[in-house]
Amino acid sequence: MGISTFFGLQTALSGILAQQRALDVTTHNIANANTVGYSRQEAVLVASPAFTMPGVSTGVQPAQIGTGVDVDQYKRVRDQFIDVQLRAQTMRQGYYEAASDGLEQVELALAEPSDTGLNALLHTFWNAWQDVSNNPESPSTRQALVQAGANLADAFHSLDSQLQTIAAQTGQNVTSTLAEANQLGGEIYGLNVQIANAIATGATPNDLLDQRDLLVDRLAQLGNVSVTKGPLEVLDVTFGGAALVTGTTSSATLTEPDLTSLTSGRLAGLVNLRDTVLPGYRTSLDAIASSLVTQTNALHATGYDLSGSTGINFFAAGGTTAATIAVDSTVFGDPTRVAAASATGQPGDAGIALQIAALRGSAGVDGAYTQLVTRIGSDARDANRALANATLLANSLANRRESVSGVSLDEEMSNMIRFQRGFQASARALNAMDELIDVIVNRMGRVGL
Amino acid sequence: MISRNVLADLELVSGRLDRTRAKLTSGKELTRPSDDPLLVGRALQYRSELAANRQYRRAIDEATGWHEASDSSLSAISNMLRRARDLAVGGANGASSPAARQLMATEVDQLIEGIKTEANAQYAGRYLFSGTTTLTAPYSTADDAYHGNASTINREIGPGVQLQVNTVGSAVVGDASSGIVKALRDLSAHLRANDLTAVASDLTAIDAVHDELITARADIGSRVNRLDAAAERLSELEESTVRLLSETEDADMAKTLVDVSTQQAVYESALRAGARIVQSSLLDFLR
Repeated sequence: MGISTFFGLQTALSGILAQQRALDVTTHNIANANTVGYSRQEAVLVASPAFTMPGVSTGVQPAQIGTGVDVDQYKRVRDQFIDVQLRAQTMRQGYYEAASDGLEQVELALAEPSDTGLNALLHTFWNAWQDVSNNPESPSTRQALVQAGANLADAFHSLDSQLQTIAAQTGQNVTSTLAEANQLGGEIYGLNVQIANAIATGATPNDLLDQRDLLVDRLAQLGNVSVTKGPLEVLDVTFGGAALVTGTTSSATLTEPDLTSLTSGRLAGLVNLRDTVLPGYRTSLDAIASSLVTQTNALHATGYDLSGSTGINFFAAGGTTAATIAVDSTVFGDPTRVAAASATGQPGDAGIALQIAALRGSAGVDGAYTQLVTRIGSDARDANRALANATLLANSLANRRESVSGVSLDEEMSNMIRFQRGFQASARALNAMDELIDVIVNRMGRVGL
Repeated sequence: MISRNVLADLELVSGRLDRTRAKLTSGKELTRPSDDPLLVGRALQYRSELAANRQYRRAIDEATGWHEASDSSLSAISNMLRRARDLAVGGANGASSPAARQLMATEVDQLIEGIKTEANAQYAGRYLFSGTTTLTAPYSTADDAYHGNASTINREIGPGVQLQVNTVGSAVVGDASSGIVKALRDLSAHLRANDLTAVASDLTAIDAVHDELITARADIGSRVNRLDAAAERLSELEESTVRLLSETEDADMAKTLVDVSTQQAVYESALRAGARIVQSSLLDFLR
């Protein structure tokens, strides 16, 4: 038994087809060079199963003859390990991005160091008390004092309400971020179904896999994600400790209480900002306001006003938080009620005013405020630093992934040349075959013709 | 990959340039707490110290004014007392006639009124010598009583440093039962009564109250010295605090300018290099 004369034609044809497929893949790569999340693909060429030729002439061992080339699979070039590392950094990046953004707003609200911040208004307030102590009889210094007190109270209100606004905005961001996560979960679920169907029919849905990886990357920015791969390339995704996507079964619509172990990502940063950081600042600010009110009032109540009354509060007794601090309405309406004197009927005495002025620089008020500013500054700087660090790491990991999965136009160009030449050579081989067969078909057996 | 790196680097450089530019335009090294939390905390403290210092200097100015007004009143009182003493010397002299003594007594009465008027001196609408009842005149023409109290008025002229600014009228000028007023009232009565021995002993009393007056003025003088010294100390302190604040808060302009131009150059060359690298690929060289 011999081998068909036309055997070589088939072999050359397989070469032509395979090179053409490889060229197709190269074109696909080039077309997607700038597609976000696209992984470079590769046509894996393998020699097609050899034709075993048992024959008398070959002895015991049957000889094998190659039959050409097949495209075994179209492979997605991707390193899953880098994906995991990159996502871990993306989570950190998301977390500190949220923290850094929020703290930047807090810093703007604080407006320190400046001549308009709370610190400057505190100075004005203490100075006003000292002015009163220099001139306790004068209604105008008293007027200036209650005005300084009211300005200080306003500054407390404004800072507090700005912190509240930032917290409210952060809360809205939490809601919208969670909605985004849920939407991503839904999309991942949809891709899970498509991918499972495709793989079940024996296809390799490379581009769908890319899209799904991209979605998981985006999800990792929002919160801590963990991914488990099941059969048929189906992913189970947990987000913040709660199951978001369960294979091809379902995708959940998560609410905040579901996220039992939210540790990183933008959402964790926002929640931390809203629930811990901002309330912490407000508590400190409240403590400062409360300390200011109690210390001032404690001294003020022992003093006597210009008409000899005593037991008057300078700040309204009800307002001991940053949001409610206010100059007592009686004193505000009639500055002669400022109790500067330590004894009745002595308009020239300013013992109490002096004592209140001496509260300047007290640990509970000025000291605590400086501390608060320093704390906010440190927090903001730490967040900025950590963000820069996470961004750097994420970038370098993204570069590593790009070096594995990215499309290098240089490489594709050289591949293109390679496959083009391969195609040409296969065609040439086909030609050679054709010429051989031409000899057999057209020129043999024509003796005497 | 190259384009990502180029972009990340460009962002880094432009961010740095932005911050340096902000420093240059604001003239401040610290524009927000996160620039350097520790330094910002220190800057806030310096600002507090500075504000307090300026306020103390206002208190010192005010106290100095008060003292100067007190001293000029006491100086006028001292002059009148000297005139009264001259009259007493004349009255104690046997050569003076009883009629002359009557005239002298009238002049002494006038001097007493004059002294009371001086003792009612005001500084910025406040009576200097009536203790803490600064809105009540210490003396009136109707009687010789002292209407003020003996309380002191203190001013804070430095952190925790208080200084008495007032001189209590009753201690210096006295009233119907003590001090200058009593001594002169006695003199006037004795002159009228032609009691030469009593007039002679009044002379000793006048000398005694004059000594007290001089002591009071010396006291004022020493307090003014203290105020001057405190003012000087505060202005030195202010100078050093301003310098510290400026070192902490203000940008070093020369350095910032150099930084800006260096970073600008880096940014531009990064842009140029980026533009060149990003463009070229194997494509450019294939026919």
